[in-house]
Amino acid sequence: MDNKETMTSKERVLNALNMKPVDRTPVANPTSVATVELMDLVDAPFPEACQDPELAARLAATEYTELGFDCVSPYFSIIQESSALGCDMQWEGKDNWPTVRMNNPIWKSSSDVKVPQGFLEHRDIKAITESIKILRQELGNDVAIIGKTMGPWTLAYHVFGVESFLLGTVDDPTETMKCLEKLTEISILMGQAQIDAGADALTFPDHATGDLVSGEYYKRFLQDIHSQMVDKLPSPLILHICGKTIDRMPYIAQTGMASFHFDSKNDPQEAMDAVDGGIGLVGNINNPETLYARGPSEIRNEVYKCLEAGVQMIAPECAIPLATKIENLMEIPAAVKEWTAERHP
Amino acid sequence: MPVENEELEAQLAFVTNPQEQQHIRSLWDTADPLMQQISVSLIKGKNEEVYQLTEKALKDGFSANTVLDDGLIAGMAIVGVKFRDNLIFVPEVLVAARAMKAGMEHIEPILSASGVEPIGKVIMGTVKGDLHDIGKNLCIMMLRGAGFDVIDLGVDTSSEEFIEAVEENDATILGMSALLTTTMPNMGKTIDAFEEVEMRDFVKIMVGGAPLTQEFSDDMGADGYGKDAISCVDLAKSFATESKTT
Repeated sequence: MDNKETMTSKERVLNALNMKPVDRTPVANPTSVATVELMDLVDAPFPEACQDPELAARLAATEYTELGFDCVSPYFSIIQESSALGCDMQWEGKDNWPTVRMNNPIWKSSSDVKVPQGFLEHRDIKAITESIKILRQELGNDVAIIGKTMGPWTLAYHVFGVESFLLGTVDDPTETMKCLEKLTEISILMGQAQIDAGADALTFPDHATGDLVSGEYYKRFLQDIHSQMVDKLPSPLILHICGKTIDRMPYIAQTGMASFHFDSKNDPQEAMDAVDGGIGLVGNINNPETLYARGPSEIRNEVYKCLEAGVQMIAPECAIPLATKIENLMEIPAAVKEWTAERHP
Repeated sequence: MPVENEELEAQLAFVTNPQEQQHIRSLWDTADPLMQQISVSLIKGKNEEVYQLTEKALKDGFSANTVLDDGLIAGMAIVGVKFRDNLIFVPEVLVAARAMKAGMEHIEPILSASGVEPIGKVIMGTVKGDLHDIGKNLCIMMLRGAGFDVIDLGVDTSSEEFIEAVEENDATILGMSALLTTTMPNMGKTIDAFEEVEMRDFVKIMVGGAPLTQEFSDDMGADGYGKDAISCVDLAKSFATESKTT
């Protein structure tokens, strides 16, 4: 690695995703770095920025133009597909994330799972696909555009309700598998539409979260499905799962996904050891305690810890709290550049 | 009567801390074998069995409090330890909670009619912008089982709604839950709002939820952090005792 930057942001991100050499470790957030400050800066507030492609593109561009990250990600939330499927939505305002009212689920069983006609033409799907086209046109080919498509486990929470879906995994695991397999159709549709629109990579959030289910659950219900996604979506995939996930990282490393976006509850070195080179890692700066509530020096410490461990892309652990300060986010690329200069003068 | 049920004995083996095992084992010291069977069925998530066994126990003359303490809550103590130690996860806890709920269908009407004074009043809710309620609901179930009067504000609760509920119900304990790192800061905003209306000194605030830590709880200015439903009950009990002695 040379201190002099010789790659574009896009090359840097794609090389990191393909485990190839990079001029410096890229900074990317596969989930979201949208904040109220950034919304105000470019006049693209929530929830409109989740519904309108122009606003989505404008807000997403700030990740590159204002914060100095190496990618842009116009899908900020995790609800676009669910909204298009007809879930009961709570759109909130500028200072809160839009969300699905999961205690009012739309489906009860695998036989209910159907992609509605015109799914890809729905406002909240086009907000993403069209924004990708705008971003490519406006930012050119130097920056990586990361799209996002929800995995079947996350979609299942939204359409069946979290509690009812999780109870189903115990009561009728065969039916659970049927639900998951049918829901992958939605993941593929949404992912392919973004690839067609020009996305360079896709985040694949699938919240088999460490605090909710075991590593064995991941292996039993999701490992094969995630491997199939690698074959069905022709783009580097970044799996995102929150919580303690060390127990499932060896399984995740076998899926063929390009990278795993991991939570700050996992020590970076332990995570690197757990995946053992089978998959790249993206992460894992703590959101609520560090990025939101602390300042640059604490952020720098966490960035350095990830870099020392060899984490391939540096990022906040998940979508960040909307009140996070811009200066804290800007510290991430600044710290990466300084670390690189110190180690490779 | 010591633990005689082999299945319960096998479940107790999951409690590896000797002192903790001794404490949990003592919950059945005076319990009838039927209570031990209720506990086992609950731990295994057999809701229909728990429903039937609870009904039988009450018909056999056991008091509602005995069935609740020696059967249902004692069983949940093992569920709580297994969950804390990552031996089981949320789906298994949910089936146990469903079983407890099945038993409570018989117990609750009797307790309500008995007019026993609750040991404290707790306001519970998930913070603004967060619609997750599994953890909160487990806490509420355990708090009610422990004798608290709980007012459930549901999900997506604003600071104003928390303040109003505390005021209206003259509650001294408030519990806030969050599952998302993006909504956790709303706990701090609510605590600040209690300061602003000069009500902070009258209410003990506890926080919990999967992504929370003690450090975050301290940063936000909460009085306590409950890692799981059992510690939530322990916290509430300590707050209730404190408010009675001051």
